[in-house]
Amino acid sequence: MSKNAQMALGYKKKRPFNAVSVPAEIVINIVMTLFCAACVIPFIFVVIISFTAEESIRQIGYSFTPVSWGVEAYKYIMKLGDQLWLSYFNSFFITIVGTILSVLICVLYSYALFRRDFKYRSFFSFFSFFTMLFGGGLVPTYMVCKQMLGLSDNYAALIVPLLVNPFNIIVMRTFFQSSVPEELIEAAAIDGSGEYNTLFRIIVPIAKPGIATIALLNALAYWNEWFIALLYVRERAKIPLQYLLMQMQRNVEYLAKNSANMGADAVAAASKLPTQSLRMALVVLIVVPIAFAYPFFQRYIIAGLTIGSVKG
Amino acid sequence: MKKKLLSLVLCIAMSATMLAGCGSTGSTETATESTETTETAEAPAAEETTEAPAEAATLDTSTPVTLKWYLHGSTVNDDKAVMAKVNEYLGEKLNVTLEPIWGTWGDFDEGSTLAINGGDDVDIYFTCSWSADEYNSFAKKGAWVRLDDPETNLLANYGSDIWNITPEVLKTGAEIEGSDGYGVYALPGFKDFGTQNTWDINVTLLEKYGYTLDDIRNTDYYGFGDILKTVKEGEGADFYPLLVEGAVLERMVDNSIIVNGDAGSLNVLSYYIDPTDVSKDLGSKIVNKFATEEYKKFVEQTREYYLAGYIDPGCANKQTANDLRTATQLDGKYLIGTQSYALGYEVQASAERGIDVAFVPCTPPYVDKTSTQGAMMAISTASKNPERAMAFLNLLNTDPYLMTLLEYGVEGTHYNLNDDGLVVFTKEHDNYQPWRNGMGNVTLLPPQEGEGKDFFTKVFIPYYEGAKAIPAFGYQFDPTSVETELATLANVGEQYALALSVGSVDPATALPEFLDKLEAAGMSKVVDEANVQLDAYFANEQ
Repeated sequence: MSKNAQMALGYKKKRPFNAVSVPAEIVINIVMTLFCAACVIPFIFVVIISFTAEESIRQIGYSFTPVSWGVEAYKYIMKLGDQLWLSYFNSFFITIVGTILSVLICVLYSYALFRRDFKYRSFFSFFSFFTMLFGGGLVPTYMVCKQMLGLSDNYAALIVPLLVNPFNIIVMRTFFQSSVPEELIEAAAIDGSGEYNTLFRIIVPIAKPGIATIALLNALAYWNEWFIALLYVRERAKIPLQYLLMQMQRNVEYLAKNSANMGADAVAAASKLPTQSLRMALVVLIVVPIAFAYPFFQRYIIAGLTIGSVKG
Repeated sequence: MKKKLLSLVLCIAMSATMLAGCGSTGSTETATESTETTETAEAPAAEETTEAPAEAATLDTSTPVTLKWYLHGSTVNDDKAVMAKVNEYLGEKLNVTLEPIWGTWGDFDEGSTLAINGGDDVDIYFTCSWSADEYNSFAKKGAWVRLDDPETNLLANYGSDIWNITPEVLKTGAEIEGSDGYGVYALPGFKDFGTQNTWDINVTLLEKYGYTLDDIRNTDYYGFGDILKTVKEGEGADFYPLLVEGAVLERMVDNSIIVNGDAGSLNVLSYYIDPTDVSKDLGSKIVNKFATEEYKKFVEQTREYYLAGYIDPGCANKQTANDLRTATQLDGKYLIGTQSYALGYEVQASAERGIDVAFVPCTPPYVDKTSTQGAMMAISTASKNPERAMAFLNLLNTDPYLMTLLEYGVEGTHYNLNDDGLVVFTKEHDNYQPWRNGMGNVTLLPPQEGEGKDFFTKVFIPYYEGAKAIPAFGYQFDPTSVETELATLANVGEQYALALSVGSVDPATALPEFLDKLEAAGMSKVVDEANVQLDAYFANEQ
């Protein structure tokens, strides 16, 4: 890096020894800015549409600069009243309880698979891995869940089907293998630590980045899940927010698809359905809370990316 | 190494989802079969035990029974107040507790088919000719109890009240080939069962240019040119006077109708009706409609209108055509549209669109098998109490109190009656809106404000009872032997049919191409098969 270039950019401080050259940095920054824009702009677009007056959508379609603005969509949402808050609560409840339980199960399962001295290790590896290859199919799954397990119209129906995720188990086991030296477990055992003590006081703190990753994946899965609600939940008081939105969307699609068969009935029913801007407003309400989860987990995920190598 | 492992795992995961996708359909079928066998094994046993009292045709109501009832198209957030009253009433009458499952437009298809295939203990399902739990196919699979089964005859024993007042066309329309022979597998609802395709006219705009409705009535599709030209010139380049739904437009202009049983998006089979007398026999042959002179004439005219800028190019986009149509209608930015009509719709349409809307019919209303199967209630073979279910349906469709309560809610809470005895909804109604046509006999209900005092007795019933049946009314196409061909045909049709019928491609090149591809996909085999079945049907009739 020449001195002139530094002067030209007005840098007073010495650049760190591992810095890339200025042109490279400029290019990287531009690329990253474009990438970020590509991620953020669709969301900004959704927010704009949610504040667009319905006449504007009808006249010029979706636009960054609508003809007229409006808050009717949010007013309508407030009118949903109890249903909205109930669904919000359900979504939070399912996500929090589901994430805690599924992370716990995932850690316990993958820790056992990680331990070389566990006798049935290969069997249980295969046992979980097998379900990744072969699913039971929709109807048998439905029958087991609904008739055998009684997962119908209750919170368990929304939590249990997602509890065990073999992919997460494999990721977690690999994480243990790469970041937890087995000597540590031996050392703990020699020092008189019991199995639970070893796991929760020694292994878990080391594996925090891995656990955070799994927790984020699970939280996202629970927050975004709507199909399970469609299958097992009929009671309006128990449906999560995501399904409330999907229901509106699917109603619109269904009526459009069947308009030729249903004739005027479909038109009449469609006129009662929420407008475009309302659906976008709901998207905003769904995205905002889960977006806050990212910065919270980000610290650990970055840590997880950087701790791969052997230290000291 | 780790990367390799990861990619391997990802590959496996992806192929796993693929396999799971294939696996599910296969296992769905086996599951259906297994539930069927258990059901058919159980059903006769259950029926035998009730055989003795059934002969006396008195209902044994000594034990309390819960009936689960799966409905379609409802917007119900809170049914507590209604169900409390309903169950109090039903408890007295039939010793029944009713548990409705309020299916919505969006979740009914998946929910109901899973419940049937999974053998849920639901007693009564909504079914019809167009939903996923399609009446005909599920009757063949053994999902519905045959209601006029000579051995049990639920209809005669427990449903005679409603069956005696059901119009003859609905009875005939409900007769199909099912798992227990040819008979009635569901109770048809008395709703708007006639089909009538109409031109949807923006009268406000029409009169602005000095035309009247008679100018539309006295001509047909091929004579709209001058009117369209005048209005297009007057309103400017981005105004499209013709607002069409491709498939409907084609049926309206050519007077072709869908053949029942010919499922799939293409509707390759067509039957032609006389536009002045729908029940007149036109020779009764099924033809490949795309190869007819009428179709050729139609697509050429449409192309001409399209090139002249009368049809919005957006109508040719399958995904968004419907949104566009609804939006344009609400804006009143059209002159002539296509609409499958329901009685009294102009009042609602005019109010919604803020313009004066009129519907000019192309044919008198006609009844075909598809339209009579528009909304039905079937008793599931998984039901443990088919007698009580039938008795409930019987009561629901003959008792105005019960029907009104279930459909409109509680008087004073969900609706009020005005001085003329017409229904005016309250704000509470937003939380309780079942789909009116999906409930049953709508003629029992008090009319709503705007419909007029004698709507059902003086307008609705005469209109639909006057609707004539088409010549081959009872005919039902059985696609089993040509299912592969139909699937390929539907793909070909997807490519051409909509584009041709709104004029976005040139028929001079596209139509011959389309016909060649149809022929290659086995069109004539399907048409021949349909005609063999039609001849057999007519031979049977005589």
